[in-house]
Amino acid sequence: MMIKQIPYKEFHRLLLNQGLRVAIGPFNVCVQTAYAPLAEQLYKLYCHYRLVQDEIAEFHVRIVTERLYKNPFRQNVRFLLDGQSPFNSFPPEQALAVLEWGINLAIAVRVNHLLILHSAVVEKNGHAILFPAWPGSGKTTLCTVLCYRGFRLLSDEFGLMDPRRRLFLPIPRLMPLKNESIAVIRSYLPEIVMGQSIPNTQKGTVAHVRPPEQSLLQSEHTAKAKWIIFPKWIAGSPAKIEAISDSEAFMLLASNAFNYEVLGATGFMAVADLIRSCDCYKLVYSDFDNVMDVLHKLINEA
Amino acid sequence: MRPDLPPHCQTLLQGLINPARLIDYSDSHWELLIRLARRVKLLGRLAFLVKEHGFWNQLPPRIASQLSSGLVQAEKLQQLNRWELNRILWALNDFDTSIIVLKGVAYGLAQIPYAAGRLSVDLDLLVPKADLADIESLLMVKGWRHLPLSAYDEHYYRVWSHEIPPLIHAERETEVDIHHTLIPVTSRLKIDTKLLFDAAIPVKDTTISVLSPVDMVIHCAVNLFQNNEIANDLRDLLDLHDLLVFFSMQEIDFWIRLTDRANQLKLARIVYYGLYFSQSIFKTPVPEEIYNRLHARPGRLNMWLMHRLVPLALFPQHPDKPALSALLARLLLYLRSHMIRMPFYILLPHLFYKTVRKLQFKKQK
Repeated sequence: MMIKQIPYKEFHRLLLNQGLRVAIGPFNVCVQTAYAPLAEQLYKLYCHYRLVQDEIAEFHVRIVTERLYKNPFRQNVRFLLDGQSPFNSFPPEQALAVLEWGINLAIAVRVNHLLILHSAVVEKNGHAILFPAWPGSGKTTLCTVLCYRGFRLLSDEFGLMDPRRRLFLPIPRLMPLKNESIAVIRSYLPEIVMGQSIPNTQKGTVAHVRPPEQSLLQSEHTAKAKWIIFPKWIAGSPAKIEAISDSEAFMLLASNAFNYEVLGATGFMAVADLIRSCDCYKLVYSDFDNVMDVLHKLINEA
Repeated sequence: MRPDLPPHCQTLLQGLINPARLIDYSDSHWELLIRLARRVKLLGRLAFLVKEHGFWNQLPPRIASQLSSGLVQAEKLQQLNRWELNRILWALNDFDTSIIVLKGVAYGLAQIPYAAGRLSVDLDLLVPKADLADIESLLMVKGWRHLPLSAYDEHYYRVWSHEIPPLIHAERETEVDIHHTLIPVTSRLKIDTKLLFDAAIPVKDTTISVLSPVDMVIHCAVNLFQNNEIANDLRDLLDLHDLLVFFSMQEIDFWIRLTDRANQLKLARIVYYGLYFSQSIFKTPVPEEIYNRLHARPGRLNMWLMHRLVPLALFPQHPDKPALSALLARLLLYLRSHMIRMPFYILLPHLFYKTVRKLQFKKQK
């Protein structure tokens, strides 16, 4: 059952009491909060996610409010994972960003049965395309455009790979656009649903894009990767794609993964095999129409 | 006498001492068990037990993946610790000293059962006090450094503690704790470390040693009941149980030698607590008459209190419903641990300083 199929009252009651259990890719997350503004945002942005009330949840997270002792008239929100607080408290308007950030952290530090690359992943014609993160890549922005223009979203953040079957697992999450990207996407994709802009977070202003319903419906369909494309956004630059060597791609990918080191030999074999089976490119772009042409050309030639 | 444990503690304890029963655990029991085991660093251990009992393939898939994640992490940390030890030995290659490896890495070297599933975060070493300054400066020359400490913490380590401030190599992340004795200098208890070095067992094909079996057991008890605050230390009590079971099977007169050594080192009281709680919680087969061989034992009132407080602190709190009684037990044991570690004239300013710092820290947040 999808979240939008239950009334808001029921949704709110679950968040308040035993917790709302929601499937996020291969994981089930149990979310609790008594902070009503967060519940309203979640109901809107999580509406296409699947409810899983009777399954085991891997992550138990909570957003609690607390009074500041130096200013008892103000409240802050705090993220709890299994009752433990991994970071500071934040102003209440950042609740959604803190929750999303906390869930990412929980996945990144606890999951070692899968290899977690730091990469956006989309799928086209049954093949996964990786867009690994590197500074200035704008991978979330690019990923948002692609998944609302005919590609299926697997993730904007985690390249979640089963190291034995060499498959990528979808883990579609809200996509946090930052700063200038927010206005850019609002004008390029006026139809999409986005949360309110949250100013002054650690990463500047953030607004969360609701992932496409189609991508969430297919979030159990794994895919093998065929292309690894390292994107870079450069103002005014025409879209240009250029092959890079396997060794360079390997170093870029492995040195920027979440748990590559922890997995040891398993991680090395998986990344080596992945690079061997993929074509690797660097991509420079500024215009979305432009970049889409380049990608379609690449895909259709294959 | 078995302490009365709340239901969630029973879920964890039964999983640890009766792993065969895990096969009957419902999904919701498993979910809770994983959360509790993770909290007290026992996920890797649980994974090991399931594999040993041969029902890994019958686990709910979401449980199997979490256990395997825990095991991968434990194995990685052990590898990092062994590599750090390798680097330390390389750095000290030309320096003639004796190094005793302690805790997790030592359990692996001594081939204690289940050592492979243990989550060991740091590398702990014991060196002769006379060599400490040389070892520290040699390591600093070869790239290890101290994390920045406040002047107070620096003083705490240098003057009152049984170890120097932790060292970390610039290129790696493993913390190295170098001890010169096993109990803080400020405690009333003193250990003649020469006795430990004399009895230490060399590790085959290396220049390092591990503590002798009885000393290893005593150190484990000392850490738990003298040096630490007991909160969430169930893993350490399980270490003690593992050591007792393993060594008592290997050596016929182990219990006699253990009690003799405890008396000789004047640590009989601490060993009494260790034996008592290991037996009452994990059913360690401690022979009844052995307790009487210990020259010092806790008084009745003390025992009555500890019997009620220790299990409440050792076991993790229920992650969704923390109990006030367990919070209180933890607070009392926290105070106890400080009172037995330092005399009042140090303790009061110390607790004051820590409280002020905690408040300042909160304010910054």
